[in-house]
Amino acid sequence: MSIPAIRATGDAPTPAPTGQRADTPTQRTRPRRKFPLPRPGALFVSPYALFLLVVFAVPLGYTLWISFHRFYFTAPGAEFDAPWVGLRNYQDVFSDPVVLRSFLNIAVFLAINVPLTVVLSLVLASALNAKLPMRSFFRAAYYVPYVTASVALVAVWQFLFGAEGLVNNLLGDLAPDPSWLVNPVLAMPVIAVFVAWKQLGFFVMVYLAALQSVSKELYESAALDGAGRVRSFLSVTVPGVRPATTLVAVYAIITGANLFSEPYLLTGGGGPDHASASPVLVMYQRGIEQGHPDFAAALGVVLVLFVVVLSLLARKLTEKEG
Amino acid sequence: MPRKWGAALLAMTLAAATAACARPGPDPATATTSRGSITVWLSNNAAEVAWGTKMVDAWNRAHPRERIKVQQIPAGKTSEEALSASIIAGSSACLVFNTSPASVPQFQKQAGLVPLDDFPGAERYIRERTGPRADQYRSEDGHFRQLPWKSNPGMILYNKKIFRKAGLDPEHPKLATYRDFLDTSRKIVESGAAPAAIWPSAGSEFFQSWFDFYPSFIAESGGKPLVEDGRPQFDSPAGRRAATFWRTLYREKLVPQETFQGDAFGMGKSAMASGGPWAIVAYKHSIDWGVVPFPTSDGRPASRISTFSDEKSAAMFSACEHRATAWDVLKFATSRQQDGAFLAATGQMPMREDLAGTYPDWFAKNPAYTTYAEQADRTVEVPNVAGSIDVWQTFRDAWTRSVVFGRERPEAALRGASRDIASILAEY
Amino acid sequence: MSRTPGAMTRLLGGRSARLLVLTLGAVAFLFPFLHMLVGSLQKTTTGDLNGAIPTPGTLTTDSYANINDTISLGRSLLNSGVVTIGVLLSTLVFGVLAGYALARLQFRGRGTLFAALLLVQTIPFQLLMLPLYVLVVRDYGLGDSYLGMMLPFAVNSTAVFLFRQFFLQIPGEIFEAARIDGAGELAVLWRVAVPMASPALLTGCLLTFIGPWNEFLWPFLVTKDADMQPLAVSLAGFMSNLQGTVDNPTGALMAGACVLAVPAVALFLLFQHRFTHTNIDSGVKG
Repeated sequence: MSIPAIRATGDAPTPAPTGQRADTPTQRTRPRRKFPLPRPGALFVSPYALFLLVVFAVPLGYTLWISFHRFYFTAPGAEFDAPWVGLRNYQDVFSDPVVLRSFLNIAVFLAINVPLTVVLSLVLASALNAKLPMRSFFRAAYYVPYVTASVALVAVWQFLFGAEGLVNNLLGDLAPDPSWLVNPVLAMPVIAVFVAWKQLGFFVMVYLAALQSVSKELYESAALDGAGRVRSFLSVTVPGVRPATTLVAVYAIITGANLFSEPYLLTGGGGPDHASASPVLVMYQRGIEQGHPDFAAALGVVLVLFVVVLSLLARKLTEKEG
Repeated sequence: MPRKWGAALLAMTLAAATAACARPGPDPATATTSRGSITVWLSNNAAEVAWGTKMVDAWNRAHPRERIKVQQIPAGKTSEEALSASIIAGSSACLVFNTSPASVPQFQKQAGLVPLDDFPGAERYIRERTGPRADQYRSEDGHFRQLPWKSNPGMILYNKKIFRKAGLDPEHPKLATYRDFLDTSRKIVESGAAPAAIWPSAGSEFFQSWFDFYPSFIAESGGKPLVEDGRPQFDSPAGRRAATFWRTLYREKLVPQETFQGDAFGMGKSAMASGGPWAIVAYKHSIDWGVVPFPTSDGRPASRISTFSDEKSAAMFSACEHRATAWDVLKFATSRQQDGAFLAATGQMPMREDLAGTYPDWFAKNPAYTTYAEQADRTVEVPNVAGSIDVWQTFRDAWTRSVVFGRERPEAALRGASRDIASILAEY
Repeated sequence: MSRTPGAMTRLLGGRSARLLVLTLGAVAFLFPFLHMLVGSLQKTTTGDLNGAIPTPGTLTTDSYANINDTISLGRSLLNSGVVTIGVLLSTLVFGVLAGYALARLQFRGRGTLFAALLLVQTIPFQLLMLPLYVLVVRDYGLGDSYLGMMLPFAVNSTAVFLFRQFFLQIPGEIFEAARIDGAGELAVLWRVAVPMASPALLTGCLLTFIGPWNEFLWPFLVTKDADMQPLAVSLAGFMSNLQGTVDNPTGALMAGACVLAVPAVALFLLFQHRFTHTNIDSGVKG
């Protein structure tokens, strides 16, 4: 649902956020202790603080609690015991072949989605980075899939890539067998391409912003050093947009960890034979369809740790020279 | 900073603790004798809704103070999931006329069902209506938490027009033995009469095996359930023969691995389907069909073949406040007269002893149903054991992996699933 | 915008090469939408080229009527609209209050709250999905209600962050002047800060809109009553188990997809010029 607010570009109009800077003028101007407590500030934030408590803090605590107990959903008012089981649920998660498969699937997803997104959005952003006719048309065209609901887009892709869909009709005898969405090897790559397609417009904008901050002098000096087109692209542009690349990588990891509607709808519940199951889909199937919320909660905790570790790693890798 | 985090943690713990106090449900002691208006849920099958609406009208005319409101089971991927959600929300209807016996153990664990033997005479009523078969529907603790309502014994329907197109004799189809069934399927697909011989879902939902493996296994094994006396039964010669038969269908691409979006048989994309008597009403105007029992390796006669009942029960849910009324409605809706009306409206078989003898006139007028009625006396149920959804899911995962997608040998998959299911059963 | 003769520029050659690349991209992005629209208008929706090139005479709006009979488009759209507008209003009211206080007011716990705001955006929703489900549906009794659908999205934290950044940018003297005139904080916020913040408010609205309008998983979990389901959920329901009930199910599905896509796309195109890169980096939100 949420994406970390990472600042991708250098030319943003707003000053960089610096946590709690004491540069607000209120301190100087407010007459001391004129109002009784609570101060308006506390009043103003209290609905939001309450929201964070109800929607984030409580469920977070509850998830951790569930993941260490034998827990199931019951009717309101029903008495039931939820005995402490220690790490049992976590053991079950790690020994479950479908869970392991779903993490492997996410690895496949990332291996395809991240390079594809980075390359295509950088190419399109570079092409867009000039005064051109119909520039705003192109920009809008790239953005349209991003603002459209996954459910609507999945419906079209299912039609496009179905056994009797347009893609197979155009390919004729070259069409894969079994067809895309029921092919154990191709199902996950189709999802990775779908997500890249859907999100690309957003990253084109991110790279477009990032390109503004790459200084002209660097290109000029690279040209003076006799660097060719490819050399100067690799030695000037790529390092210049590195923060944006970090954003793409972290965002892709979070999207991959959040995948649900695509495997649920596009490949009919993570099919074929779990070849496109994602961890969230498994959480839904185990927790809600099959009534094992304790297993699903443990899987959720594992998934979040996985996301955190992978995001840190992605930042390390993409920022190592920056 | 550490102090702030400490405070935040404390707040979180407190909040989690307060979250644990839930809203109360109805008090069983008063609800059992309480009377008043109730809600009844029906499946979204048009014929069932038509019957249900009439039944409710008849009740409401006679009982103006205890009116019934009828609704369809809420939307969900499956009605089991929607019912489970309604139990958690405390928003279930009083009575649901479409409760799968496989999910009764789970609903029971969720404290979602009212034991029917709380009501005087209930035990006798159920046993007299259904006969000895009723015992299959007792929970493991001996209580009845469902009233066996109606069944749809699974058989093979075939499309006569497609058979004719494939050069096959539609009046005497060769479908009794595995070899005949495979030969017939090959002819259908090779001739291009239909893209699929038969098209069950290749999906991994726990219940999908009820329409491919389970009826085949029951037929081949002479009426064994999936689990008996706490032990899985399918890792046996009969189970292996049934699995190998289906594997051959998939391997030779007589059955597609892609799940059809919609009704493949109804749209003429498959020549055969596994279906119960509901299909007679559904395809009355669209398809010229015939019906035969599931095949067996030795092609034994129809009179010796058992099949899966695909039974649905009526159950009372614990969110019900006026349970005395609900119990009366349950008896009214399963009375001899209403069962007859249900049979006439839907063609599905009420779970009544000696059905053909109870409604002889109707069967005389509708000979097509006699095959099903005969089959209805030899049905096998899903095992009523705790963890039954897990059992079916484990089986289904092994099935799709091996039989559908051929990533493991069926024999090995059955053995593995049998071992896993045994440990699930031991754990509950 | 300044032209940067970067290496990529040279790599791509001149203007015509750029336009070629951009046009190919635009086709890849827009073609599925064309396919969706044409498919929704065909009598029998097919996966061949007829599904991409509209043939006059074979077009009909039957599919729209079919999908409307099956899932009641009007009701679903209304549900989507109520939830989305509810989230927008609550984000605007509570988000602006919180953003203003975080930027301009002193109170105990300000630092903690700001840290929480940043932290919250890194917690994936799925971790909270199960406990939220049981809390909302069982303990709060909010299953099948608008409030239940809105709750997890009620205040968009990215929008709060955006508002805070914006209020920090406004020169402090403006607020001081208002306060010296004796205005209370609420009046300062309402008469001074909000009018100045309208660009940030609009961006916040657009960012917030996409979330609840397109969200599938959460409303899917908490609504089981077909009359309460937003369009994304009822359309998914149609995809997974109602396709057998209509003629030309693919056409009906495409029709439903068009209806779901149009409001978000239209809103975006209307305010397209706001969605430039300068706004994106101050609020990253999907």
